[in-house]
Amino acid sequence: MRCPRTLTLLVALLALTPATGNAESIVVGSKNFAESRILGEMFARLIESRTDLTVERKLGLAGTQVCFEALRSGGIDLYPEYTGTGLVTILQESPRGDAAWTLDRVRREFLSRWDLWWLAPLGFENAYELAVPSEVAETHNLRSISDLVALAPSMTAGLGYEFAARDDGLPGLERAYGLRFGSVRTMQQALKYQAAGERVIDCLDVYTTDGRLVVHDLVVLADDRGFFPPYEAAALVRGATLQRHPEIGAVIGLLTHALSEERMRQLNLRVEHEAEPVERVAQDALEALGLVGARAVDTVSSRHRSLWRYMWENRRDLGARTLEHLFLSGAGLLLGIIVAVPLGLLLERRRRSAEPLIRVVGTSQTIPSLALLAFMIPFFGVGARPAIVALWLYAIFPILRNTYTGLRDAAPEVVQAATALGMTPAQVLRRVRLPLAMPVIMAGVRTAGVITVGTATLAAFIGAGGLGEPIVAGVQSVDTTVILSGAVPAALLAIAVDALLGAIERWLRPRGVGR
Amino acid sequence: MQPPVLSAMRLGKRFPTGVQALVDVDLDVAPGETLVLIGESGCGKSTLLRMFNRLEEPSAGEVQIRGQRATDLDPIELRRQTGYVLQEGGLLPHWNVARNVELVPELLGWSATRRQQRRDTLLELVGLDPALYASRYAHELSGGQRQRVAFARAIAADPDVILLDEPFGALDALTRVELQEEFARLKARLQKTMLLVTHDLAEAFRLGDRIAVMRQGRILQCAPPRTLQRQPADAYVGELLAHAPEVPE
Repeated sequence: MRCPRTLTLLVALLALTPATGNAESIVVGSKNFAESRILGEMFARLIESRTDLTVERKLGLAGTQVCFEALRSGGIDLYPEYTGTGLVTILQESPRGDAAWTLDRVRREFLSRWDLWWLAPLGFENAYELAVPSEVAETHNLRSISDLVALAPSMTAGLGYEFAARDDGLPGLERAYGLRFGSVRTMQQALKYQAAGERVIDCLDVYTTDGRLVVHDLVVLADDRGFFPPYEAAALVRGATLQRHPEIGAVIGLLTHALSEERMRQLNLRVEHEAEPVERVAQDALEALGLVGARAVDTVSSRHRSLWRYMWENRRDLGARTLEHLFLSGAGLLLGIIVAVPLGLLLERRRRSAEPLIRVVGTSQTIPSLALLAFMIPFFGVGARPAIVALWLYAIFPILRNTYTGLRDAAPEVVQAATALGMTPAQVLRRVRLPLAMPVIMAGVRTAGVITVGTATLAAFIGAGGLGEPIVAGVQSVDTTVILSGAVPAALLAIAVDALLGAIERWLRPRGVGR
Repeated sequence: MQPPVLSAMRLGKRFPTGVQALVDVDLDVAPGETLVLIGESGCGKSTLLRMFNRLEEPSAGEVQIRGQRATDLDPIELRRQTGYVLQEGGLLPHWNVARNVELVPELLGWSATRRQQRRDTLLELVGLDPALYASRYAHELSGGQRQRVAFARAIAADPDVILLDEPFGALDALTRVELQEEFARLKARLQKTMLLVTHDLAEAFRLGDRIAVMRQGRILQCAPPRTLQRQPADAYVGELLAHAPEVPE
């Protein structure tokens, strides 16, 4: 009998599952670029130091859509947003007025539609702009976007994913200026600068407050037709949160008009170019404004450190990330087993519908991971829940397929003998077919385990943490050390999980089977 | 004459694939008799065998077991009262020899002590030392040993009918003869009603009280070996029997 063993295993796994859900804490989000992270971290620190509330950070969420959905669904309480983005991307309106008009418009619409509040602007704008390497600007005497139009067909543009798709990005520019690039390559914000430096691309979208404009010797082209809407930065907060904790409004209000474009550019530069931790930069900025007392920031910079040294000094954070990672993939896998094994048993008795259904489930494997994760947000908010659901969906297929084929193909002559000697179908299933199929089922679980551990690195994009966090942050600041500090443990974890599941398989495998 | 233990009346079987496996088969097996079904692959002999423990259901005619219609019997009960040995033994690979032999007694709810006693007796009967073999697994046994265990398992709950589907088919020639001889001794001692399927003529002659020659779903002739040899019913049987060994007087 294998039941007691299987049961032991389930109980052990359940015991490992940490209890989730904690007392009232404010969840601060941000998008996945330096400035948004810095602002998010500043909000978090202000709330922590000036109220009694505890703060949970979900920084580095993948883009506007994810942040906004998270805010609307209550997955986060506030995040830094830009008025222009609110107008164009979220409300899907075309820009019509100046900064004051835009702020007024988004305030009214967000309030009436979703009970979301735009707090007072932080004092700087961070608009989209187009830039070219200064060498190109000089050669062709480029000053404005209009100057660029004639030259663009012979150029390769390197654009951010959002910019290339947003109405206030390339599609709008094409309409407003008749701008057509010879070719367009979409890439990570941080990589564009490197690409421009190597002249892989001739033109790129930048942000006004981008610190790297200075470093990389780029010239910003004037928006002579006033196409780009005003992008004032401000905190966007849930009405329900403000009602429960009005002090949040007051505390964030301390940042009203506190940050200039120049100041923000410097802060961004420290994170983007000098690889300083966001926590320290945010703390320094708040100290300089006299808003929080001096405090040592307990983080480790990757600067001038070897990978191993950085990982060692950062071990506490990496340890926590590893646990998060294990929790996410473990929960996804466990749920996958709980659903897929019984479903496999059921399908084995309904063979006619089995193959088509398994094929349909199989298509879940072809959905790109990031798309699946993003798709979960409207239903499950941000954080661990949507990530676990997505990982669960990925885990189902390999386990289901192997359970089904393992049972179907389990030694037919043995099954026949067991039947012929008078076992009931239920006895044949439980005492013969399941034990004989166990190695095949476990091989499916192993595949699912490696898939979930691998895919869980993407959970960082929807605020679920895990070892993807340092990878995402590292890609942003083009910091190989930080990337590897997440990637190496993630790879080791995949190997370890595979080995562990392999050991469990050998333990569960009945003697005499699968030799 | 005693009433037959197994009988088939105008039995027909057509598979959903359209294959006509059995046509108008009539057959009686007397108590204590060993009847051998012989024929080429696909002649329907295994299908006929499997009718008697309801692994197959007839599409025409009727099967009777001890005078009762098979369809009136609970198939699970029937199978527990019917021994069954198949070509590769069909030992459960994840159970050791002891558990395999105790399978049917366990299903019938015998006590552990009674099962163990029975198991040891049976292993000795088929020539395997319980102390040495009870805890072994199928993959640790030779082909001949596996068939011995399968036979012990088939008679564990002391059924009066045993169905054997090419029980020696997968063995090498030497082991086969050795096991056949041992089987013949056991058969005499146990006095069971047996239905045995084979395509080995020598085996049929060595073990069968009567032999039924089958071809394309029909029984061409069913008679004791000597009658079969002296008065073949048709040319096919005659041709087949031309290669049969001499039957001792």
